[in-house]
This record gives sequence, C-alpha cells and structure tokens, in this order.
Amino acid sequence: MRTVVEARQIRKVYGAKGNVFTAIRELDLTVREGEFVGIMGPSGSGKSTLLNLLATIDQPTSGEIEIDGASIMKMSEDRMSAFRREKLGFIFQDFNLLDTLTVKENILLPLALAKTDVKELERSVEEIADKFGIRTILDKYPYQISGGQKQRTAASRAIVTKPTLVLADEPTGSLDSKSATDLLESLRSLNERDRATILMVTHDPFAASYCSRVLFIKDGGMFTELAKSEGPRQPFFKKIMDVLSVLGGSAPDAV
Amino acid sequence: MTLFQVARKNMAGNAKSYLLYFTSMLISVVIYYTFVSLQYSDDIQKGMESSQNLQTVFLAASVVLVLFSAVFIWYSNSFFLKRRKREVGLYSLLGMRKKTIGRLLFYENMTIGAVVLAGGILLGMVLSKLFAMILVRLLGIETAIGFGLSGPAIINTLIVFAVILLATSVHGYRLIYQFQLIELFQAEKAGEPATRPRIWQALAAIALLAFGYALALQPIDTTEQFARNMGLALAGIIVGTYLLFRSTIAAALVLYRKNKKRYYRGMNLIGASNLSFRNRGNVRTFTLIALLSGLALGAFGLTYTQYYYTERSAETNTPFSYEFVSRGEPFDSQARQLIEADREHPVLAQLTVPVVEWKSERTNALELPIQYFSYAKPGTSISFLSASSYNRMSQALGREETVQLNGDEAASVRPMLDNQTADQYDGLSLKVQLEGGERTLPFVDFLKGRVLSWHFPDFYIVVSDSLFGEMTKALAPTTYELFRVENPESAKATSEKLLGMAADENRFHAFYTEYRNSLEESGLFLFIVGFLGLVFLAATGSVIYFKQLTEAQADRGRYETLRKIGVSRQEIRSSIAGQTLLAFALPLALGVAHGYVMIRIFTASLVGMNVTPPILISMGAYLVVYFVYYLISVRSNNRIVNPA
Repeated sequence: MRTVVEARQIRKVYGAKGNVFTAIRELDLTVREGEFVGIMGPSGSGKSTLLNLLATIDQPTSGEIEIDGASIMKMSEDRMSAFRREKLGFIFQDFNLLDTLTVKENILLPLALAKTDVKELERSVEEIADKFGIRTILDKYPYQISGGQKQRTAASRAIVTKPTLVLADEPTGSLDSKSATDLLESLRSLNERDRATILMVTHDPFAASYCSRVLFIKDGGMFTELAKSEGPRQPFFKKIMDVLSVLGGSAPDAV
Repeated sequence: MTLFQVARKNMAGNAKSYLLYFTSMLISVVIYYTFVSLQYSDDIQKGMESSQNLQTVFLAASVVLVLFSAVFIWYSNSFFLKRRKREVGLYSLLGMRKKTIGRLLFYENMTIGAVVLAGGILLGMVLSKLFAMILVRLLGIETAIGFGLSGPAIINTLIVFAVILLATSVHGYRLIYQFQLIELFQAEKAGEPATRPRIWQALAAIALLAFGYALALQPIDTTEQFARNMGLALAGIIVGTYLLFRSTIAAALVLYRKNKKRYYRGMNLIGASNLSFRNRGNVRTFTLIALLSGLALGAFGLTYTQYYYTERSAETNTPFSYEFVSRGEPFDSQARQLIEADREHPVLAQLTVPVVEWKSERTNALELPIQYFSYAKPGTSISFLSASSYNRMSQALGREETVQLNGDEAASVRPMLDNQTADQYDGLSLKVQLEGGERTLPFVDFLKGRVLSWHFPDFYIVVSDSLFGEMTKALAPTTYELFRVENPESAKATSEKLLGMAADENRFHAFYTEYRNSLEESGLFLFIVGFLGLVFLAATGSVIYFKQLTEAQADRGRYETLRKIGVSRQEIRSSIAGQTLLAFALPLALGVAHGYVMIRIFTASLVGMNVTPPILISMGAYLVVYFVYYLISVRSNNRIVNPA
C-alpha cells in the first residue's frame, strides 16, 4: 500500500539561546493510504506540534517530511498553500467555520478556491451533505446551528476536495457524547468506504478507539504504538486505557 | 493600592493601546483650539463685524467642529473600551465590584482627558503660530492674524472638552453595568442578518438627493432663506446618502450572489460575504465618509477656486502689468526708466496706444437693447480703440484673439461684470455723431479678451483703423502707456514707487496692487475654509483608520482559518485590497458629487468664469491624498490579518 506520510527524524525546538524547549525530538512516523491513525499523549507531549508540522502550518527545525511523495521542506510559501488546498483536509477542535458564510458556502469554500466548475461543485456539496446528514441546514449560518452540526460541516469542508490526507485536531473536543459518536462514525465510514486516510490527534480514548492504529507520544518522542485487530471496539478501548495509565500525565477519567 | 494608582499603572502598562486613543483626542483638541484662537483674534473679530459672509462661515464652522470633536472622541472612546473588554472582565472575575471598575474607568478617562487637554492647548499654541505663518506665506497678507495665547480661546476649549470628556467618562462608567460577565470574555460571534434590499429605499434615496441638490442650488437672497434652504438640503442629502448606500449595496450583493459562476470562484465568496456581514455598520461608516469627504472636497475646491480666480480676476481687471495715461515728458520717461530698472521683473512688452474717449451722449448707446448699456448715461464715455491697436495689445498679452474690421464695422469687448454673449449683438449697430453726420457702426465681432483696466462704465468698442483716424480728427485721443513684465504679482517696490509718482491714482494701474487687494479681501475666507477642509480630511482619515483596525482585529481568526485551509498570502492580500477598495471608492464617489454641488453653490456668484479647472485640480489633489489613505489602510489591514 502507498505511503501517504513519511516523517524521518523530525525535531522541533522552540525559543532561542539559553531558553530552548524541545517539543519534538527525533520522531519517525509513517502513515499508509487508507489508515485511520490516532495520536495520543498527555498535555504538552507534542501532539499538536506534530500535527502542525504535518499540516505545513509550522516547519520542523530538522528532519524530513514527505506527504504523498513530495517533500514539504523545500516548498515555497505559495506552493505550500496550494499543497494544503489540494492534498490536505483539516478538522479543528473549535470548528473554525467562517461565520460570514452559510453552511453550504463553508463546505464549498475549498472547491471555490480551487476554481472548480460550478456544476461539479454543487454536486460534490450535495453528496457530502447527504453523507453527513446536514442537507437541511445548508442555508443556515454557523451561529444558527449546534456544535455537532458545526463539526460535521467542518468535516464536510475537510473532505470535499477528496484530500490525500485528512488531519483532525481534537475533533470531538467540544462536542457532547452523542455528537462525538456521530462524527466518529462518519469518519470511520469515510475511512472504510471511501478509503480516506485520516490522522487524528485526540485526548479521548473513546475517540481513539475508532482508529485502526494509535500512536502514543510522550515528551516529544514516540512512546508506543497500538494496532487494532479485527473485532469489536471494546477490547481496543481497554488496551488504550491501559497504555494511558502507564503513560501517566493527564489521562482522562474513564468514559 | 488605591484606585487612582491602579488607573495610573494601567495606563503605563497599556501604553500602546492608549496611544491611539490619546492621539485622536489630542488631534481634536489641537484643531479645536487653533480654530477658536483664530476666532477670538482681533483681526477676525473686526472682519466679522463687517462681513456677513465671514460670520456665517465661522458660525457653521464652529458648530461643525464641536460636533466633529464630540463624534470623533466618542467613536475612539468606544473603540478603546471595546478593546479592553477582556481586561475589564478580568477585574470583574477577580472580584472587583462593578461600581469600583466603573469608577476606575471614569477616573482613567478623566485623567487622560486632563493630560490631553493641557497638552493639546500647548501644542495648539505652537501650531497656531505655524498656521499663521502658512497664512502669511500662502496669501502674502502682511498683517498676520494674531494667534498665540488667547484667554477666551482657552476657556472655550476647556468648556467644550470638559463636557465631551464628562459624557464619555459617564458612558464608560455605565458600560460596565450593561455588560454580562460572560459577554466580556466572548468575542463578537453572532452574525448580523444581511440587510434586504428594498426598492422604496432606493427610490426615496434618489428623490431625497435630487431634492437636496436642487434646493441647495436655488438662488438665494436673504440669510434666513440661506439657513433654511441649506438646513433642509443638508438633511435631505444626509438621509438620501444613507438610504442610497443601504439599498444599493444590499441589492448589488444579492445580484452578485445570483451569478454562481463568479461567486463560487476563488476569494470572491469571502469578499462578498464579508461585505454583506458588515453591511449595516458599513452603511453608517460609508455615509459618514461620503459626507465628510464631500465637505472636505467642497472646502478645498472652494478655497482653491477662490485662490485660482484671484489671479484670474486681477488679470481680467488689469491685463497689463503697468498702465498709465501719458502726461508728456519728463513724467513718461521717468516712469519708463523706473520700470526698466527693475531687473527682477524684466519688461516683456511695451506699447503706446491711443484711445478715443467719446461722450456717450454723442452715440445711441442708451437705446441699444442690451441691459448693460443702460450705464451709458450722459456724462459717461465710451472708449474707442483701433483694430490694429487691439491686435497689438492682444499679441503683447500673449493671446491669440485678433479682430479684422473694414469701413464702419465695429466690435465690442465683453465688459468685466456682465455675462454677455456674441448673439446679443446680432443685427445691432452703434450710431455715432461725427462731423460729416451720423454714422452707423454695425457690430460684426464680439471680443472676449479685455485689454485695458476696468474703469466705469467699462465700454470698449473696437473700430477699423480708418474710422478711428476720422474720430481722432474730431477728438484728440488719450495716450496710454502699457507695460507687461515678468511675474508682475511680486513687483511690489516698483508698483509702489510708480503709484507714488502718479498723483492721480485713477489714471494709473498696476497689476500688483489689484492682485494684492483681491487677495487680502478673500484671504481670511480662504484660510478658514481651507482649514475646515483639512479638519474634514483628517476626520475622514481617522474614521477609516479606526474602522480598518476594528475590522481587521475581528477578522483575524477568519483569515487564519483561510490560511490553514490553503489560501495563499497573496490571495488574502489581493482580497483585502479589493474589499478595502470598495470601502473607499463607494463613499468617495458620492462624496465627489456632494463636494461638486457644494462648490457650485458657493461659486454661483463668479460670473462668466469657468470653475472646472480649479475643481478638477482640487479633486485631483484630494484623490491623491485619499489614495494614500487607501494604501496605508491596505497595509495595516494586511499586517493584522496576514502576519508573516
């Protein structure tokens, strides 16, 4: 299977002389096409930094990152923007929907930016809206809909361009459990049916149990890795909880 | 720590955000003080006693300035308070009582106010001197207007700003009671519903604007009528402007959204939705800017038109640099030597021209159906020039207009104070009693260029050289000595010496004297209107600047999201440039129309003058300044939402 993300020996240091903080130290990471990978770790372990590096929002101090075969280290600012638009999809904890746009406009924004043909664009939006069950709220503004609906809108926006890699940063972080389950189910079906590659950073072991593989990070380095075997989700959830208790830090209360 | 100390520490710690508020208040105080000290100077007081016009201008100006200061300070105070919501929320969260926070804000505002007032008045004193110097330089008025320390001006400024300060302080105090603690920590999130376009608003807007313009352009006789008409016109224009923006922008956005092909393409979606999201606030600001730039533009246009025509009218009045009636030797050669000795103003042309000053009762001038000829009462005279003299003079003045006359044909020269046209003379002829009997002189040409200086009743008729020869036999001509020199507007010394030599001032004319006189007459008016123009310009700039800052701060998150989903810096930059362009161009378009009408109103009395060039020039200058504002706005906007 094709490799989507290949990170080698990446290192990220913040601060200048005398007062440096190493957020990521010599980390290797490989994600293959069609995987649903979770990244877990206590606060301050470097999860979000890692995601930002992969998202090309931030640059590593040293190391090499390749996404879809292209090295993102040597890209110019403009190419990086184009790359983000074409290859990556983002889902954020606080949704990051544009409150000046309707739900529909929010979803089609990446397509509009890519100057897609209008017919094609409308068709894609409808298809996605059906998939996430938000067809009835397409003409509403973000402030008129619930948190769960907002996150499904954000997820629709992330995958509408059929990106090579979907990056999700605590997508269930501000959702109630019902909405969170709905979103996770949607992501899983996206992964299983549409073979979308998803990388999700989360605090929540319940959310992580939807992944096919979970990486644990501690103090900027890889701690351990769990792969889900065929079968129900419950045992996998249990295993994650076990690792978390060993990992320490801010393991959340049992869900 | 006492409350006062907290307030003081606050100010020291938040210097940057205070600076903006501080500066805008300071500007208001300086402008107001400068204006008031002008108003209380003896020269102006004297001028106001004699000139109704000046009085009206001052009254209007001071009302506008007080309003401007109040609105401006209120605006920046609200902006300032909005910025500090979080800080206030934190105090509240830490358990400070609302009353205490309110008092803190109150004291703080009063402290800033006191400092600003003191600083503003001090700075105003320095700047008013500077303005006085500009005035002297610009208008060449010898008696500079007395600025400097003026007791009544200080008291006036103190009272006006104390009231404004008290109002804003109370506003700040009350604001804390209106906030819910939770609100203080939430950024403004709820969207405004888009304004729906309404046809009646568009129609009403057009009707109101048309009514306002028409009323403003009505000819006016009395001051009361002026006040009433202008008040009504202003109200119509203000409401019309507001409704026009409100209806047309909303309609344009609805139309824009209909074309999906264009709307769903690149950043168009973002630009259009931002405009629509902000429409309500935009309409208010656009109206304010359109009105302010209309006023500024009008004031500049008016000043420049007057200034421009001071020279023009001096030129029409006294075309040659020096003009005197020959008195024989040694007077003529003495005068000539004096003129030639002035090295800084070399002579470009020198002419000796005979003029026959024919008694008007020996013509039928009074019977001619041209209203202006009613001045040709018995006892007055009509000046006759030969065609060759006229052509020589025209050439010496660097003009192209010439005249060809045969036999008894005549041509009239347009009088300075009458807006005559050529067709008024169609088929008319002047009858002149000559020794050989009455001669009929048909008018065949109408000359626009005046060649000799104005003197009552200002009748100049050009006849053929042969007829002129016959007339000189009947009446000895008066000989005029004419000189044209380089830069006559600065030939002060020579003009004064010549004027001293010529005992009879009526027969001696210098361009310099004429030019100075009209400059001094209009100088004060020019200065005040120009000053107001500057104030409006500053106001426009600040309103735009505050608006851009506020919006950019609010938009930050939105653009950050866009950056994350792959919009390049360049795309954001061009989208911002486009949005800002609209925000500038829309109010400016209407502002130009308003300013044009305003200039028209006040230049209606400039008979027969083409006001287009000065209007175009002042509008051009304004556009340049406005464009600089635009560039600065795009830059600061971009820096906030699109950080490197």
